[in-house]
Amino acid sequence: MGETVWEQVQEQCSDVRKVDLVVALPSFNQASTVVPVVHTIVAGLKSAFGHASILFLNADVGSQDGTPDLVRQTVGDLLPFASIRPNTEGMSGSTFALNRFSYSGMPAREEAFRSVFAVTRRLQAGACIVLDPSVRSVTAEWVSLLAHPILEKGADYVAPVFNRQRYEGSLTNNLIAPLTRALYGKRVACQIGGGYGFSQKLSTFFLESEALWEGDAGRFSIDSWVTTVAVAEGYEVWQACLGAKVQDIKAGAADISTSLAQAVGATFHYMERYQDIWEKQVGSEEVPIVGHPIEIDMESVPIQVERMLKGFRQGLRDLLPIWEVILAPDTLAGVLELGLRDDEEFRFPLPLWVQTVYDFAVAYHEKVIHREHLLKSLMPLYLGRTASVVLETKGGGPGLVQDTVEHGCQTFEAMKPYLIDRWRFQ
Amino acid sequence: MSEMWQDAMVAAFREMASRGVLFLPKLMALVTFLLLGLAIGWLVKVSLMRILNVVRFEVFCERMGLTPALTKAGMKQQIPHLVGRLAFWIVFLFFAFMGVDALDLPATANLMSAILGFLPDVIAAILVALLGILLANFTGEAVLIAAVNAQIHGARFIANMVRWGVVIFTVAMVLTQLGIAKEIVVAAFSIIFGGIVLAMAIALGLGGRSIAKEVLERRFGREKSRDEFTHI
Repeated sequence: MGETVWEQVQEQCSDVRKVDLVVALPSFNQASTVVPVVHTIVAGLKSAFGHASILFLNADVGSQDGTPDLVRQTVGDLLPFASIRPNTEGMSGSTFALNRFSYSGMPAREEAFRSVFAVTRRLQAGACIVLDPSVRSVTAEWVSLLAHPILEKGADYVAPVFNRQRYEGSLTNNLIAPLTRALYGKRVACQIGGGYGFSQKLSTFFLESEALWEGDAGRFSIDSWVTTVAVAEGYEVWQACLGAKVQDIKAGAADISTSLAQAVGATFHYMERYQDIWEKQVGSEEVPIVGHPIEIDMESVPIQVERMLKGFRQGLRDLLPIWEVILAPDTLAGVLELGLRDDEEFRFPLPLWVQTVYDFAVAYHEKVIHREHLLKSLMPLYLGRTASVVLETKGGGPGLVQDTVEHGCQTFEAMKPYLIDRWRFQ
Repeated sequence: MSEMWQDAMVAAFREMASRGVLFLPKLMALVTFLLLGLAIGWLVKVSLMRILNVVRFEVFCERMGLTPALTKAGMKQQIPHLVGRLAFWIVFLFFAFMGVDALDLPATANLMSAILGFLPDVIAAILVALLGILLANFTGEAVLIAAVNAQIHGARFIANMVRWGVVIFTVAMVLTQLGIAKEIVVAAFSIIFGGIVLAMAIALGLGGRSIAKEVLERRFGREKSRDEFTHI
């Protein structure tokens, strides 16, 4: 695939052999937002990297609304530009692929990333940054925040961090980030989308590691695993605080359980690959951070706690035979007790939640039931825990939510021996 | 008179003895086939069980929901053991029929060829039944989880309907494969399946309007009370 993409680049930019920076824009039907985003990126590049050699790359996976033409017209002669068409194997038009989209609603996003990595390697670029054309809040500063740590500070990967409203990213804050921190010892926010920065070394690693791209996790949820892999492989990971993220597609709004299955499935999938690494890891450390200080917005989006509790109780009633197979007896007994509590008194204790997540990880590893069923059956329990967090922090300041998240991370770390014991001796 | 009686007796004895001499090898062949059937059947059973244990077939069946389904149906034994026993009896019966064929009795003439002719249908029916049970459990579980996550009332009922729909379809296929009252099976299946669909349509029309409304609202995103925040 790398060769085909490279040929496409050569046809459009035959004189480009080596660059300092590749700026990539993976796209799919984003004509409504792409023009201002490209204008902003070009302005950012001109101000921060005026003297650097750059290739602006648009990896389009089959837009029907003229997105590549708009990008080409907007970039114009301001920068060397190439538009490539990664091989999507008919993914864009396949109805069966609908539930396999990445979180961004973009099919074959993984192939777009892979093509970008291939071009980065061929051009021996010092860094490559990938930006989402659907994010309206992109600023000129994002370019330097994502690229500078790689070009000047020796970072291999720059992950995005956004300012969020207090309960935004509940799954990430209550499960993905604490689990990643407990497993691999790096305190990363595990936020996804918007923009990423990659060194040539990491791009080459991704490109050459065929196994990373295999399986449902590898093929359909790159945003969920790219941080995990960078951290687990021991690359120099930085975080860039990019401010607000305003995106046309609300991740997971269409089907939360599918998003949950993709995100959690990717984390569990790579737990198997990196077992030797996370079993030895003890404690955790901060990663370097650049950009604006993180702010938690006091405003809260509407949250239907009753609806979440209803979902949890329905799961307790109907999914019990499945949970009996997945959860350890102690955990199941704890979960059953929760069904007896009234809405206002409802609390899903943190240690029980951590135990639940670890039991699901072990059950995923042991393949006790079909993996997609297993991951989706976590949904009611996740709703229960989220409702509990909302009830626990109701009326408190933003600091309280942050403290709750931090306490969650510490509990995940403290209870890691439980995971290791069950993983080894189940 | 006495001579005639003596001749008749001797002739009858000789006839009996010659028939006995002719039948004895056939009887020995039957016994040999039975013993061979026992030995080879046991060997096949043990080998098959070991292979199934090595490839963790029990875990696979557990995961696919076959073990719980059989447990619910009253089967207490592990599936590799069941498969082993089934293999033993198939091999043993195969040899037993060969033995019976070797007896060359008029009543059992062509028994072996008839059974051999029917065997592919039986094997196909067993495979269809096995796949049907697996598919029924798998789809039932998938529908249950999806319905619970969509917070649809009566999720378990819907999942059971799907599961039993697949089971009924499987039973009809198995009976058709075995050639048992094909016309009746097709008619019965059409009546049962059509009846279920009609009953569901009537039930939905009369008593389930709110559920249908809820499902459609959810499907087409007109529900106003959805949470606005992103989970990822």
